[in-house]
Amino acid sequence: PALPAGWAADKDFKAVGKLSAATQRNLEPVGPHFLAHARRKRHHRTFSEDERI
Amino acid sequence: MSDETNGAGERFAIGISFGNSSSSIARINPEGKAEVIANEEGDRQIPSILSYIGGEQYHGTQAKAQLIRNSENTVAYFRDYLGKDFKSIDPTPCHNSAHPIQTDSTVAFSIRDTESETPNTVTVSEITTRHLLRLKQSASDYLGKEVNAAVITVPTDFNDAQREALTAAAKAAGLDVLQLIHEPVAAALAYDARPEATVTDKLTVVADLGGTRSDAAVIASRGGMYTILATAHDYELGGSSLDQIVIDHFAKEFIKKHKTDPRENARGLAKLKMEGEATRKALSLGTNATLSIESLADGIDYGSTINRTRYELLSNKVFAQFTGLIEQVIKKAELDVLDIDEVIFSGGVSHTPKIAQIARSIFPEKTQILAPSTLTSAINPSELSARGAAIQASLIQEFETEDIEQSIHPMVTATPHLNKAIGVEFTSGDAVEFLPLLNTQTALPARRVAQYNVPAEGGDVFIRVCEGSREIKVTKPEPKAKEEKPKTEDDEDDSDFDSDDEEEEIREVVWKTEQPIAELAVKGVKAKGKVELMIHINADLGLQITAREVGGQSAVRGAVESP
Repeated sequence: PALPAGWAADKDFKAVGKLSAATQRNLEPVGPHFLAHARRKRHHRTFSEDERI
Repeated sequence: MSDETNGAGERFAIGISFGNSSSSIARINPEGKAEVIANEEGDRQIPSILSYIGGEQYHGTQAKAQLIRNSENTVAYFRDYLGKDFKSIDPTPCHNSAHPIQTDSTVAFSIRDTESETPNTVTVSEITTRHLLRLKQSASDYLGKEVNAAVITVPTDFNDAQREALTAAAKAAGLDVLQLIHEPVAAALAYDARPEATVTDKLTVVADLGGTRSDAAVIASRGGMYTILATAHDYELGGSSLDQIVIDHFAKEFIKKHKTDPRENARGLAKLKMEGEATRKALSLGTNATLSIESLADGIDYGSTINRTRYELLSNKVFAQFTGLIEQVIKKAELDVLDIDEVIFSGGVSHTPKIAQIARSIFPEKTQILAPSTLTSAINPSELSARGAAIQASLIQEFETEDIEQSIHPMVTATPHLNKAIGVEFTSGDAVEFLPLLNTQTALPARRVAQYNVPAEGGDVFIRVCEGSREIKVTKPEPKAKEEKPKTEDDEDDSDFDSDDEEEEIREVVWKTEQPIAELAVKGVKAKGKVELMIHINADLGLQITAREVGGQSAVRGAVESP
């Protein structure tokens, strides 16, 4: 969509809201993607840190 | 990774699906594909049955044959008794084999499993151990290597006591249980691990239609990770319900001819059960099946045929129960059939063509129905959970036990999931459209990247990231048919048909913006260019958003703090 006239923000970014609450659920500890997630979580790594290794 | 050997020596793991009616063993073959192993009798679905004659143990199909002549020393349908209190079990499936009895707090069977004439009391744990030992042996013989570990599938409603009892029974059989995984998730994994499959965000219903029970689960698959949203169970519905229809049909035919009911005689009933099941299975493959039994009752041989149409007519009610279970689990997850992206049919009864066809008519066209009769590339439904277990076994067999335990710990599995979808709002004139990028029930942290076309003329682009929710829009067509009615007779018939057709309401998914999260502007985008948007959500619900022109250098980024 085109930029509305008169819209401006610092560095072209404006936070206007926040996410609503999340639900706590249990993941199924199965599959390669979960194992990657578990590895990140246990070592407190982020996605990009994980990719570098 | 393989040089990280632990003190326990080398592990060699397989996947086991352990069912009430049958069990399967699977491994990952050298080409990297999951493969179900046949036992020495050539069976891939090995009946979970043990039988004893003169101290000798029979297993699988051989033991199943003993249900006719040696039913009191044959143990069948015992999986669900494991780790259970005697009072809480349903002994119905065991009416025609050794009956479960109470010993201390557990369930046992009184069988003559040695050469002596006095029966022994054998606990269900011990029976399970013997069964797993045979499965292990079959796998070891086939692979030429001692199998010492396994991933075993269990139903979603298996409680901790049942899990512990199964792990202990496996341990006693020399099998180290690396992990117990849920049957529906194993089925989903079996499909997603195929090389041609791509990781997408989707909602899957797994219908596991077994022999004596049926289970259904709704699984949210987001970024390749699975979350079970709802489960439903029916402990009386399964292949045996369908067998009963076939049995009754043939028994009535027999009575008409010979004036005796073969079901009143235990051996006659056992024979009918055995052959009835085979006939029912044959009807899943062919349109005609025969049944022939020697000396069914009063020494009379019996032979007859049934065609599929007839069988489907008789079984309509039971088929509706199977699909009813699927509808029930979707309702339990507070979802609509429109939300479901795929339906995986698992379990032996899923071979029945009609059940998948009924499901096809329930779901919208975009929903994939993964069953042999609706999709030629479908995986054999009987093999799904064993394959899933084998895949998981191959993933974790080189991990150290401690690593596995830590990974499946609730600290790791308990994860916040998005309650609302997050996407981008598009405004063109008065119309506002919302395109979801991260769907509800996405486990956090998560990251998604998408590319959007910019307006043809290019220029500055405005991106509004919002929370949205999906609604089911029901459009009822106006009842205009009535006005057109008084016409010639031919026309009337036509319009009647049309109005019936029109009265079916049109239901569709529409997305509604709930609240804006962030606004971004990407300036000076070339005509016909694309803008790439990346959203990263932290576990604490904070966001990082990055937008840039595809091929461009500079990016707009910003963060939204957690609430």
